[in-house]
Parts: sequence; structure tokens; C-alpha cells
Amino acid sequence: MSARVVDALGTWCPVPIYLIDRAARRAAAGEVIELLADDPLIEVDLPAWCHRSGNALLELRRDGGAYVGRVEITRPAGGGDAGGPPRDPSPGRSASG
Amino acid sequence: MSARTAYLDHAAASPLDARVRAAMLPFLGDDFGSPSSLHDWGRRPAEALERAREQVAALVGADPDQVIFTSGATEARNLAIGGLAAGNRALGRRITATAVEHPATLAACRTAVRDAGGLDLVPVDGLGRVDPEALAAAVGEETAVVAIVHGQPDIGTLQDLPALVAAARGAREEARIVVDAGETAGLVALDAGALGADALVLGGGSIGGPAWTGALVVRPGARLHPLIHGGLQEGGKRAGAEDLPGIAGLGEAAAIAAGTIAERTARMAELTGRLRAGLLSVADVRLNGDPDRRIPGHVQVSAGWVEGESLCLSLAARGVAVSPGSACTAHGGKAAPALEAIGLEPPWTHSAVLFTLRHTTTEDEIDLAVAAFAESVAALRAMSPLRP
Repeated sequence: MSARVVDALGTWCPVPIYLIDRAARRAAAGEVIELLADDPLIEVDLPAWCHRSGNALLELRRDGGAYVGRVEITRPAGGGDAGGPPRDPSPGRSASG
Repeated sequence: MSARTAYLDHAAASPLDARVRAAMLPFLGDDFGSPSSLHDWGRRPAEALERAREQVAALVGADPDQVIFTSGATEARNLAIGGLAAGNRALGRRITATAVEHPATLAACRTAVRDAGGLDLVPVDGLGRVDPEALAAAVGEETAVVAIVHGQPDIGTLQDLPALVAAARGAREEARIVVDAGETAGLVALDAGALGADALVLGGGSIGGPAWTGALVVRPGARLHPLIHGGLQEGGKRAGAEDLPGIAGLGEAAAIAAGTIAERTARMAELTGRLRAGLLSVADVRLNGDPDRRIPGHVQVSAGWVEGESLCLSLAARGVAVSPGSACTAHGGKAAPALEAIGLEPPWTHSAVLFTLRHTTTEDEIDLAVAAFAESVAALRAMSPLRP
């Protein structure tokens, strides 16, 4: 099955985790999401998010200056409620203006 | 100013359809909330944001998740070139672009390769057309990004996109291909999926939305870095509070455009034919760009021994609104690079005027413009020291 690609390159925590959480909520069970990121914190954040949300981390590897993470969605449609992304205090307004 | 007027400068700015205005107004009033808010004031703005994303995606055959809203085509061009160059440095440091790209694209390319790499420009023929073989020859092993403008904003030439995208892809499959439809989306049918580009630049003006709106459609996995950092908006690729009124207007305009493109372009072809015939009936006036494959509603002519800005002002005094040379370089006093790229030399490069119309233009406006053009050219030539 081809993976849905989430491109978080060039963004910093918490954007990569927010993006994969949003994609996971739209995904079907069994779907694989491939996350592209270059924030080094993803090495910590992605395994933690998978653990807390109950989704399966298939792979997290370096690819040049970036990371490629593959996650199998086992708890879609809000399954990440118990372990959503680290919330920005005001995510939409953090860069307002 | 005379009582009769003709507004033929729609590439610079164009009046909004009443339905577009109506779609925008709630977000300047009761629906003022932030689409990112968790409370009830954010609900309708959030719904409108995603509805507009679906409408814009539908216009160009894309997936809504691929749409990043921007402040216009210029920002989308900068995001496409700068973002893909930054995200794909592993592919190389060179960029290939046609010589007739929009000035914003050329500037973004030069900025992206300022510290390393280089820019390879592909020349065009006398009509502004890019040869696919020449494009392929300019794409090498270090080429990370290829920029191809669909409709050239100054001279109006439309490129053969499928042939050019295929040529670039054939030369280097992994190169990121940016197609600039900033002047054509909404006027020419586009299918992003079939096209096979990595990024597609859209501008609000040609779609019928506010001129200060635009979008970049990006293929998943194209590896795009944001230019504006610090927020979750637009998937983290374009941080900052969303222009909800503009985005809602752009979405509505996209929906209208998708349903009316054939009838609007047919009407514009009638009007454009009438305008071209009238302008070219004046002696020593030439049409710039491809006479057959052009942006709908776009007519640029050069009038020998007449300075373009003077002609523009003379037309304005007669109630006719046009742009000198191009809508983008009207105040620069410089020849548009596209005019030099097609081999024009002074005084032709400095005698260009651009007429852009829409389906709402009337025959009366066309006839007024043609008559004013003939009068203005005659008056300016009579006093021109340039005329042999």
C-alpha cells in the first residue's frame, strides 16, 4: 500500500507532530503515513506521539539531512485524543499578523 | 476625463463579481473569528477556509490538502522556488527557468542560487515560445528546480505545458517542476494531476478573486520548505493569520470560474479579435507574442516611434485604462525582460502597451479604446523626435 506523504520539512516542533496528528485523524485503519521532517526533535516526538496515540511506528530513519518516519494508523478518527500533539498555547495565533 | 470610459487593465486589477464580494463580507463582520480557534467563533471561519481550499483544488484538479493559500501569485512564486530549492538541496543547487518567467520567479531563482549553484535560462523564439528540446538541454544532473511559466504576463504567449513538463521530466526525473499559472488559472482549463508538475502557482486575479490572493498547489512529498515560519497555518508551510475574506472570495471565484470557463473564454475571444483588428489597423503597430496561443483577453502591442508610457497617459486622458509594457513594470521605466527575450529592440521595447479585458468588457469599450489608440498614436508621432 502506498503511503500518504506528510511534508513537514522546514518546520519546527510542534508543527510536524500537529501535521501527522491531523493526517492520522483523517486516515483509515491500516493506512501508512510517511512523515518527512528535518527538525531533530522528531527523533523524540514521533516515537512519543505513536506511543501516546496508539499508532504503530514502523520506521524512523535519517535521509540525508532529513528524517523519514513511517507510521501505521491503528487508531484512526480521533484515536489520538488521549495523546494528541503537544499543544501550542495558541496554535492558530502564534504567528498572527 | 471623457464621459465614456474603457477599463482594459484587468491584469492589474479587476472588479469583483457580486457573488465573490458576498462571499467575503461575512468575514469582515460577524464571522470575524480565527479559523484556528477552538471556540464557536472559529467554527464558521474554519469551515469557510476548508471550503475555499476544496473550491480552489477543484478548479485545477488537485487534492484540497495540496493547496497552500498565499498573499498572491508573487508570494506563491517565491514559496515555490525558494521552498523547493531549500527542501531539495540534495538534488543539486542549480535552477533552470525559461527566459520569460514572471519577474517574481526570476528574482526568487536568483535569490535561491545567490550563495551557491546557478541559474540556467532557456531562451525563447520571437513569439516567446520555449522549445522543449532546449529546455531539456538546460536541465542537468545538478538541476533541482525547473520553472515554466504557462502564460507570459507581458507578451501573453501560452506555452505548451505538457510537452515542456515531459521534456524537463525526461531530462531529470527527480527535478522539481514549478508551473506558473498565476496569469492563466481560471482563464485556461488546467489539470494539476495530469500535468505532473510538483508545484502550480495560482493568482487571484485571473481566477476572478481579489488580486491580493493566491495559492500554491504542491505535490505531496515534493519537499517544500516554508518561507514564513512560526505557526501551524497552511500545514506549517505558510505561517501567519489567514486572510479569511480574501480566501473566501478566491474560493467563490474559483467555483464560478470552474463552471463558466468555456463561455467566458469564447466571449473574450470575440472581444479580443475586435480589439486586435482595430489596433493593428494603425500603421507601424505590431502584436507582441504568439498570435494564436495567447492568454485569453490579453493583447500587447508596440507602436513604433511612440513611447509606451506617454501612450498610456494619452489613452488615460481619453478615458482608456491600460498598462505600459506590462502591468508589473508600469512604474519601473524599464523594458520588460520578456520583450528583450523575444528579440525586440528599442524603440519597440519601450513602445509597448498592454490591454487586458474580461468577459464583462463591452464592444463599446473596445471601440472607444481603438479610436483613442489611433488618435493618441497619431498625436504622439506628430511630436516625436524619434520618427524617421
